[in-house]
Amino acid sequence: MKKTLTLCMCVLILSCAGGQPAPDWKMRGYRHLEEYKQSFLSGKEDAAEPHFEKARRAFAAGNDLEWLSLAFLTQFALHTACLERFDTAPFARLYRLAPTASHMAYCHFLKGNLSAVDPALLDNRYADFLKAAQAADSPRAVLALQNIDDPLSRLIAAGVWIRYLPGNEAISQMAIDTAAANGWRRPLWAHLSALSVHYESQGETEKGRLVKERLELIKQQYNKAGRREAAGAD
Amino acid sequence: MPISREFKVGLFVACTAAIIAVSLAALAMGKGLFETVHTFTLSSKSGDGFTEGMPVVFSGFNIGVVHGLELSDEGLVLIRIRIPHRHVKWIRSGSSFVLYRPLIGAARIVVNTDNLSSPALSENVIPEVTVVNDINDAIARIEPMLDRLTKIADNVERLTRTLADPRGDLHKTLGHAEKITSNLAGKKSVLEMAVSDEESIHAVHEALRKLDDIMARLDGLLAKTDAQLYNPEGALPQVNAILKDVLQKLQKLDKTIDNINRISADTSEGMKDFRILRSDIDDAVAAIDNLVQKLDGVVGSKKMPELKTP
Repeated sequence: MKKTLTLCMCVLILSCAGGQPAPDWKMRGYRHLEEYKQSFLSGKEDAAEPHFEKARRAFAAGNDLEWLSLAFLTQFALHTACLERFDTAPFARLYRLAPTASHMAYCHFLKGNLSAVDPALLDNRYADFLKAAQAADSPRAVLALQNIDDPLSRLIAAGVWIRYLPGNEAISQMAIDTAAANGWRRPLWAHLSALSVHYESQGETEKGRLVKERLELIKQQYNKAGRREAAGAD
Repeated sequence: MPISREFKVGLFVACTAAIIAVSLAALAMGKGLFETVHTFTLSSKSGDGFTEGMPVVFSGFNIGVVHGLELSDEGLVLIRIRIPHRHVKWIRSGSSFVLYRPLIGAARIVVNTDNLSSPALSENVIPEVTVVNDINDAIARIEPMLDRLTKIADNVERLTRTLADPRGDLHKTLGHAEKITSNLAGKKSVLEMAVSDEESIHAVHEALRKLDDIMARLDGLLAKTDAQLYNPEGALPQVNAILKDVLQKLQKLDKTIDNINRISADTSEGMKDFRILRSDIDDAVAAIDNLVQKLDGVVGSKKMPELKTP
């Protein structure tokens, strides 16, 4: 019994020591990128940018072009989730030096070049959505979006649809619900605004007006709360 | 031995005769009676103006005379001049001879010698005399003047004739002047005479009267403006009051600016502290980072993180 216990302890210790320890810069960069994602989505623009900057510096310090590319792709994906434009120039420079096919496929996906995307190179979770999007089949896309478990991935896919394909109420609504469920202010405001524009373009001005009013109210409340917070901090 | 009276008389007569003879000889010597005289021959196309005994002059001094005039075979007048030996040095081969006939005074032959070192004039050479005639020159100059005077006299005559003419311009002008003065005497004003239209004159008078009215109104307006500007409740006192107020406010603002200066100075002082504070915060963050890493090490979660696109 004593021997068995000693053996188990040894196995446990060895298994703990078995994993390759991550370098500090990598850990630091990873942490900053995660912070960047959270700050960006929750609309803390002032906090988001420094984190991205630090992540980039960490990956640059580690001479890791692949992780640098991933950092930029993450930034592009977040912009897509919030229906914003982005400049792919820094990624293009990195791609010339460290070409990775899957990165380019993801970049094409985010830019809406859906026909250029090879489904085999894109992450599996987007497979159904990609097929639906390539066929511009909105009911199928709604189903595919429902099947994406990761809320951020769902929001990104919805963003791709709304930016580059004909507007769809159900997809917008799903994006709004996803952003609201996670408290992500930036994509929430963007999708609410897009939905009101969609309603107005469809001639449903009343619905559009209501969505707009709702957005304005939310913004007002948020800004008041922000000011109170700021006053309290002073 | 006593000298006899006869001897004394004889001596006196002899001495007197000797003194007279010596005096005559000296006089003849002085007058050049025994001097050699050179004779030169000059020629001229005309003998007009030449006379025997005419002086020959060099630099204003008489050096000789015209001794004789005769006609040569070629029809030229030959003038013989006699120059005493002491003056012959002025006559050189380069000398020129001029017959000078001044407007006033006697004619004379003038010798001009530019180069006194040139050889002496041979008595066989016959130089030509040029003529300078002041009288003729003067007459030649006066002639055009006389022509002009004649023309002037003609013009004056024509003028007097025109003035005297009853149908002439002067008479017409005088007639017009008379008409104008009589007109002026008949009309009420210069304006009437100038315009010579009753209605226009009335209009001008009307306009002047209106101008008077306008001036009167303008006076009133200016008086009112004065009152509005300068009376105690007028614009100017108010502007003054405003300016005073602005001045006071500016003085107050000076204080505020001083305060702002002080505050900015304090702030810049404080910024130094900020830098220290910032480094403190960095230190604290670094310390926490180290702690987290150590904790990671202890907990053992320091595995390679997997970075994926979201």
